[in-house]
Amino acid sequence: MQRSTLSGIIPLLLMLATSEASAHAMLDHAEPRVGNKVAAAPHEVTLWFTQKLEPAFSTIIVTGPAGQRVDVGKTSVNDSQMSIPLRSGGTGTYHVKWHVLSVDSHTTTGNFTFQVGQ
Amino acid sequence: MSIRLARAGLSGLAIALIALSKSTAHEIVGNRFFPATLGIDDPGVNDELAFPTVSSFKTGDDPSFRERDLSAEFSKRITEDFAVSIAPTYSFLGRPGGPTGTGANGLQNWETTFKYRVYKNPEHEFVMSVGLSVEWGGSGVASVGADPFNTYTPTIYFGKGFGDLPDTFSWIRPVAITGQFGYALPGRNSTTSFGVDPDSGDATVDTEFHPRVLNWGGTIQYSMPYLKSAVVDLGLPDFINHLIPLVEANLQTPVANTLTSGTMTTGTINPGVIWVGNTFQVGIEALIPINRQSGTNVGVIAQLHFFLDDIDPHGIGKPIFGNATQPTKLFAGN
Repeated sequence: MQRSTLSGIIPLLLMLATSEASAHAMLDHAEPRVGNKVAAAPHEVTLWFTQKLEPAFSTIIVTGPAGQRVDVGKTSVNDSQMSIPLRSGGTGTYHVKWHVLSVDSHTTTGNFTFQVGQ
Repeated sequence: MSIRLARAGLSGLAIALIALSKSTAHEIVGNRFFPATLGIDDPGVNDELAFPTVSSFKTGDDPSFRERDLSAEFSKRITEDFAVSIAPTYSFLGRPGGPTGTGANGLQNWETTFKYRVYKNPEHEFVMSVGLSVEWGGSGVASVGADPFNTYTPTIYFGKGFGDLPDTFSWIRPVAITGQFGYALPGRNSTTSFGVDPDSGDATVDTEFHPRVLNWGGTIQYSMPYLKSAVVDLGLPDFINHLIPLVEANLQTPVANTLTSGTMTTGTINPGVIWVGNTFQVGIEALIPINRQSGTNVGVIAQLHFFLDDIDPHGIGKPIFGNATQPTKLFAGN
């Protein structure tokens, strides 16, 4: 086999060994619902995704109207569902920022808001 | 190292670098899904089959006639970021179309497109690809207008979602734009035909110059799936949450060798809607001509489009060089 042929094949083998096939976990819906208003501060935020999640690397951060963190404890993941307990942060706009790793190792991030108050 | 060896090594390295990027089934950039659009090509590189695409419109010829097209496009990834597609179209020309004025039908020239995704930025939902389309002269039937010479069209494609806008503009975040700019280069500058004037009997010479044409266009899309998952969940019916209303512009401007063609821009503005599922999408659009030379009334185009990389990720939907892509579920359920 000629050296030029070998030099072409080696990177090709490297490619086959390192290429990473992956898929996105997209947010399907949430509770409280994305962009909606609820009368009282919820005790937790729950997100449902379109793919199974990897628990170790999937997180939710929730900030209250004053920008303070209101999520408490650990994010719990069950299949394609993820939730986190909240403490009350008063009325106003809450920001939810999520970061998930689907079981086939692709990360996705996103964010949305919901309102608390009458 | 000889020049030949260096070339071989560089080409191999390029192949390896191509494959280091992560792959996804159909074109998803960050949280943005770019659907396959009907008028212009989408900015992505995927394994997909569009069949059938059907359209009906009255041409801009004088006199005008109805043209109905049935077409298909099959796109196959060679690597994660490089694909080759083939696209045949069968045309039915009504009266007084065709060379004899009694209508005609037959295949248009086959088209092959080589497309490479050069850049993808998930954070800003931006993607860009480059491509070269070749229309194979003589592969179609002259009576429906197929040219006997090749046409080469290098093209740039891009897509940008506005999901990175601040909360103040949250209602605009579901919007995305895509566009393409191509420069069609005919393989022949002109065609000269000889004939005899039926009245005088004199010999006639008719020369038609084949212009170089800027093929350009764009889309503006409003993604209902994006609205639901990132801006506001309005509690709409599931069917509505799968829709992407859009407006496309598909335009052609002759820019060189225009002695017989003129330089007038022709094309259509296409408002419509695409319904997106996990393995296929369905789209329908109106074809509104921008001037008399583009058509004489509103036409219609519709398409059924399959995501082969989601339907068969380990078979026909797998890049020839590279690993299988896991199916991407845009929506919960099947």
